[in-house]
Amino acid sequence: MAIEKVYWKGFDQLANTEVSKRLSENEFSEDIPIDQFLGDDNLMANSSTSRRDFLKYLGFSTAAATLAACEQPIIESIPYVVKPDRLTPGMPTYYATSYVDGQDFASILVKTREGRPIKIEPGDKTRFNWGTNGRAQASVLSLYDSSRLRQPIKNDMQSDWDTISNDLKIAVEESVNDGKQFMLLTGSIFSPSFKLVVEDLRQTYANFVHVEIDAVSSSEVLDVWEALTGVRAMPSIDISAANLVVSFNEDFLSSATPQQVASDYAFRRKPGKGMLRHIQIESNLSLTGSNADKRIKIKPSQVGFSLSYLLNKVSGSNHSVGKIDKVLKNQLDSIAKELMSSNGKSVVLVGGNSGANAYLSAALNAALKNIGTTIRPDKPVYLRSGNDRAFENAITDMNAGSVGVVIVAGPNPVYNRVGFDSALKNVNYSLSLNDRFDETAGATTAAAPVPHYLESWADYIPTNLDFSVSQPVIRPLFNSKPTIEVLSELLEKNKSAKDLVKESVLAQGLNWSQTLHDGGASLKIDARIPSFMEISERALAGVEIAVETAGSVDSGAMELSLYQKTVGAGYQSNNPWLHELPDPISRACWDNYLTISAADALSMGFVNETQSNGALDGSIANIQAGELSLNNVPVLIQPGQASGTVGLALGYGRSQVGKVADGLGVNAYALNLLNGFGVVKITPAEGMHEFASTQLGNTMMGRKIVNEVSLSDFINDPKGSSWNEKPTFHTLDGTVSADEANLWENHDHKTMHMWNMSIDLNSCHGCGACVIACHIENNVPVVGKEEVRNFRDMHWLRIDRYYSSDMTPERADTEDIGVVKKYAEMETPGVSPEVVFQPVMCQHCNHAPCETVCPVGATVHSREGLNHMAYNRCIGTRYCANNCPYKVRRFNWFNYQKNEQFASVNPAQDDLGRMVLNPDVTVRARGVMEKCTMCIQNIQYGKLEAKKAGRPLKDGEINTACESACDTGAITFGDVNLPNSAVQIAKNDSRSYHLLEEVGTQPSVFYQTKVRNRV
Amino acid sequence: MNSCRMYMRKGFLNSLLLRLLSIVLTISALSIPASAEVDVDLGKKLFKSNCASCHKLDKKLIGPALSGVTQRRSEEWLLRWIRNNAELRASGDADAKAIFEEYNGSIMTAFPALSDDDIKSILAYTDAVPAVAIPKDVPAVQPVAEPANDLFLIYVLGVFLALFIILLLRIRNTLKQINGDNSSTVIQDFNALTQWLVGNKRFMTAATIVVTVGFIHQLFWFLMAVGVEVNYQPIQPIAFSHKIHAGENQVDCNYCHTSARQSKHSGIPSTNVCMNCHMYIDGTEILNDAGLPKYAGERSPEISKIYAAIGWDAENRSYIENYEQKPVRWIRIHNLPDLVYFNHAQHVTAGGVECQTCHGPIQEMDVVYQYSELTMGWCINCHRETEVNTSNGYYADAAAGGKSINERLASKFHDEIITVEKIGGLECGKCHY
Repeated sequence: MAIEKVYWKGFDQLANTEVSKRLSENEFSEDIPIDQFLGDDNLMANSSTSRRDFLKYLGFSTAAATLAACEQPIIESIPYVVKPDRLTPGMPTYYATSYVDGQDFASILVKTREGRPIKIEPGDKTRFNWGTNGRAQASVLSLYDSSRLRQPIKNDMQSDWDTISNDLKIAVEESVNDGKQFMLLTGSIFSPSFKLVVEDLRQTYANFVHVEIDAVSSSEVLDVWEALTGVRAMPSIDISAANLVVSFNEDFLSSATPQQVASDYAFRRKPGKGMLRHIQIESNLSLTGSNADKRIKIKPSQVGFSLSYLLNKVSGSNHSVGKIDKVLKNQLDSIAKELMSSNGKSVVLVGGNSGANAYLSAALNAALKNIGTTIRPDKPVYLRSGNDRAFENAITDMNAGSVGVVIVAGPNPVYNRVGFDSALKNVNYSLSLNDRFDETAGATTAAAPVPHYLESWADYIPTNLDFSVSQPVIRPLFNSKPTIEVLSELLEKNKSAKDLVKESVLAQGLNWSQTLHDGGASLKIDARIPSFMEISERALAGVEIAVETAGSVDSGAMELSLYQKTVGAGYQSNNPWLHELPDPISRACWDNYLTISAADALSMGFVNETQSNGALDGSIANIQAGELSLNNVPVLIQPGQASGTVGLALGYGRSQVGKVADGLGVNAYALNLLNGFGVVKITPAEGMHEFASTQLGNTMMGRKIVNEVSLSDFINDPKGSSWNEKPTFHTLDGTVSADEANLWENHDHKTMHMWNMSIDLNSCHGCGACVIACHIENNVPVVGKEEVRNFRDMHWLRIDRYYSSDMTPERADTEDIGVVKKYAEMETPGVSPEVVFQPVMCQHCNHAPCETVCPVGATVHSREGLNHMAYNRCIGTRYCANNCPYKVRRFNWFNYQKNEQFASVNPAQDDLGRMVLNPDVTVRARGVMEKCTMCIQNIQYGKLEAKKAGRPLKDGEINTACESACDTGAITFGDVNLPNSAVQIAKNDSRSYHLLEEVGTQPSVFYQTKVRNRV
Repeated sequence: MNSCRMYMRKGFLNSLLLRLLSIVLTISALSIPASAEVDVDLGKKLFKSNCASCHKLDKKLIGPALSGVTQRRSEEWLLRWIRNNAELRASGDADAKAIFEEYNGSIMTAFPALSDDDIKSILAYTDAVPAVAIPKDVPAVQPVAEPANDLFLIYVLGVFLALFIILLLRIRNTLKQINGDNSSTVIQDFNALTQWLVGNKRFMTAATIVVTVGFIHQLFWFLMAVGVEVNYQPIQPIAFSHKIHAGENQVDCNYCHTSARQSKHSGIPSTNVCMNCHMYIDGTEILNDAGLPKYAGERSPEISKIYAAIGWDAENRSYIENYEQKPVRWIRIHNLPDLVYFNHAQHVTAGGVECQTCHGPIQEMDVVYQYSELTMGWCINCHRETEVNTSNGYYADAAAGGKSINERLASKFHDEIITVEKIGGLECGKCHY
């Protein structure tokens, strides 16, 4: 019996609104203004072009075009005069270096072609933080950012380095003579040679002050660890030693050392006995929270006393804790029980920059005997050392007029700190040393460019066990000078950055060439901390004040929690790849917005509406935090947001960053919430905001798209027959599998290679580094907000995010709920949804629906299991995209490289941005379809390397861009015909399944079932 | 003049003797396979590859001029010197020390790999070639009478034919007059014929078809040829001759186009590669067809362009310091469209395809032109016909626990020849991505 199914495109159609009625009647969602130009007789009569003229022009232009096409352009081929030894034109050269952008650190490899860096790859796995997150991947484009400062600027006029150096020298001398301070304001410094120069300055100038600030402050947390260990650094977190992670508002998969933590996390989340359990207690739905086995919603002000309550439970102490509501209490009780049962093998993390919370989590970890096992103060991470108190003092001094000279090298305090702008007016001479003429540079006396990290020499000690170097992989594009050289000149030492780095390397007793080749070396510096026992005792002894402080935190009806999207703190705001990447959770691009729970939105009158073209619009709100306010913030309803809380991303609302991001979003730093959270007042504002959201279907509607199983079911039925059923069909020949019931003839996939890809949904945590890597590797165009809103985004690889719904078909059956209501509710995400991520690219179907419908044979199958796309054959019918069940084909609606509409967003539009293009991949023209090729350029390159060496291919030799960008190893690519290859093993795993297997497309991509460690 | 002749004859005699000697040696070599023969041609080759960068026959370069060296030194001494001059010097040989001092202590490379016969061959070559370029006393070649022009005969025939037709027409008119009919002119006849043809539907249909098909055929081939630049032969900034380098001097293609074996690009050599040879060869010795020095003993203006590019001071034999180098702007001849990916290494190294297969008789080209069509049909054709070099370990060796690609191909295609097509060489994505 056929089941009567009712489908509808969206809520609007279901609710039968005016818009949807109009839509169903008209073919085009908007009126096409034919009447405007054809119906207007006046216009036609007054037109100066007669029909005859028109034909003349047509004939002439056709003839001219034909003639012009006959001439062959002369193309020059210009070789080197003296070719560098190691360079072979057409072959990539890799250099090991360190990625540092003021926020992140990563040990990386840089791929260069003919002397220009084109791709960032993860570094050697023995190096610290070897992975690449989205920002590290995208950073190669920041090098070619045409909005970078090109030469020194003085009083808004072009200047030169001699003037800058002289002015600085004179200003510093004057300041010294006047007895005023000479201040150097930098980000966190963990470069030994820079520290030496700072020390030198301190020795030379009596009134020298060095202040470090981080855009997103960790100052109070650092204070806590300084008090406990005597070292101003964060301890490293060893997730690999933990069985249980309890995280309060800490988005540890995307914070300071996410690559390291994420790979450990993924490693410990391998399904089976002893799989890491993860409980997240948070306000905003974060990336980390989305991956949790259990997620509890909490207001930021409740974190403090929840920690105190847990401490009481765990250590048996009896600190006074305020009133906790019953639901939260029960949940905390069960967490306490779990924590106690995994004593010494758990870790409690806390987010934000609250000293009291940080202290309480340290005490809790001490009580759980985690210090020394999962919390490692003996391996401190020096990436953050900003000090807000020092910065406040600096502002006071500046306002008092006792500061003569300020050099701002790196941070952008005019943008991300309140009060710096006005304080700077009391300083005689100020110099900004940054890569662009940013907000701070606009307020200083002079500004001068520093090189991008790919153009400069630097050395770093990110932890006490690692020494890293940065080496230039291209000559400086602009007239820039590293900060360290400017300071060295001031000291009249005139040492180049290279000399200083070399000295530093040699001082560590390392071999210069080997260190450069490896990108660094291992160190064994004693962290000089007290014993773990002593730290734990200290933490527990002084906890009373923290309990008190945490208990007296301001609470309110509405609390704001600040967070970071892939753009991060705002250093790389002008990078279009980071904006084009949809937020992993909200799936909105090119924006920041206030995330709010559905219940709060309803009570406050905020709405999110789907427009007739499918795009999303949202209400606008004003935010008031104490004296400060932020107006016209768009509101996005976010499932999973704790009610009574709102979230807002940092890093937006720049005014002087460049053509890509100026005026994009709102500046959340303006609320001056250095702790990361605070009480706010939200009021509705006029108008609606247009979002560019790439995914509007939020739930899976009960289908097996992301297959999920609980750990206990997985262990009880390792073969997967109960939780990974394969679809079957009843035919005349009996019951057959989807593979057997098909119309197509089978391809031969045994003779040559057979490229398959496995995606482990258990390891994928949705960060999106792979999407950016794919963008870079394959010259995928950036289309900008307007076109994303039109659903014309060009991502070859997208990460679908699904929320669980409170309604299930089973529940509908038992509660006897009607069909319409059932499906309507199934489309709505639950109040506390579970979240799954699924990377989807071209599945390279072996029985591909797209191939069948292409009228010109532009997309055809290869005998290596790939679905080829010949752009030059494509005539743009888009039949293939319509017939693709996975919706992974992308159509070039515009000439993104030339069309002026995309001038501000598409990097390929200017000569500088074009340098980032991968020379091995075609830049597609307008009107053709494109899609994932499984990085066929890498496959061909790998095969050729094997042929050149005269040996068979090795497993793991060929990588796709997404695979190498993934820190957690979620993507495995290889030849399934190669015995015991990783991908062959994955294919035979009981967790593996094909997406929409019932369609019978026989994809070359398969997924591994997600396992959740539910209790 | 006489002395020159003497020289020639002597050279001739020498080479004759050597040839005879080599025959004797060859015969003896039949019983002793390890020994090689003394051969002037071999000597020439060895001289060019091993000695020519420092020695010339007729004048001093880095080392002394070598012509007649066998008369100045004993063969035994030369053998020892050439094989390992440092050893000879160390042994305290006075002559060896003296020559070392004379050339300011520049160290000559040792050639331990050369056999006695090799060295003797080289020495034979230094003797066989006249030391000074000698203008040949042969008069300039007389232009050979051109072969009879076929066209001329056709014109003559045409005229005869026309006369014949006129004659026939006149005869016909005469006959008509005899018969009492009106005579008609040629034009009247023609008009009558045309009218009859225009009135004939069958003829008109056939004619229309023929003309249309012919036109479409021509148009098709005209359009197909757009962008196909066979025989494209631009004038290059330096009149570089592949004929001289690859043809006459047998320079290996890979010497200059090094990256062809490793990379997608064959690579146009950078100027410093030219300088490897042209630091010593400045073109003064080039002869014209008449056997006279082409540039009257001056440096070749073409080679001077290399010096200008890199900043080489030919007088002082040194690079000019802080010279602003000017790369040579060659005109690219083989232009594939951007939508196609071509890799030289795939063809040269993996496929073992000769350069000439696609580039034509490059060793005979004074000015390089595009030899092949470089159209997709041309590529595909070759991929259909060419057999894969399956001896490569990539195909022949098996990964642990599996079968090699060759074994798998054999079980599918049995004894058929494995062409590039059979391993997927016609698939779109192999060249278009």
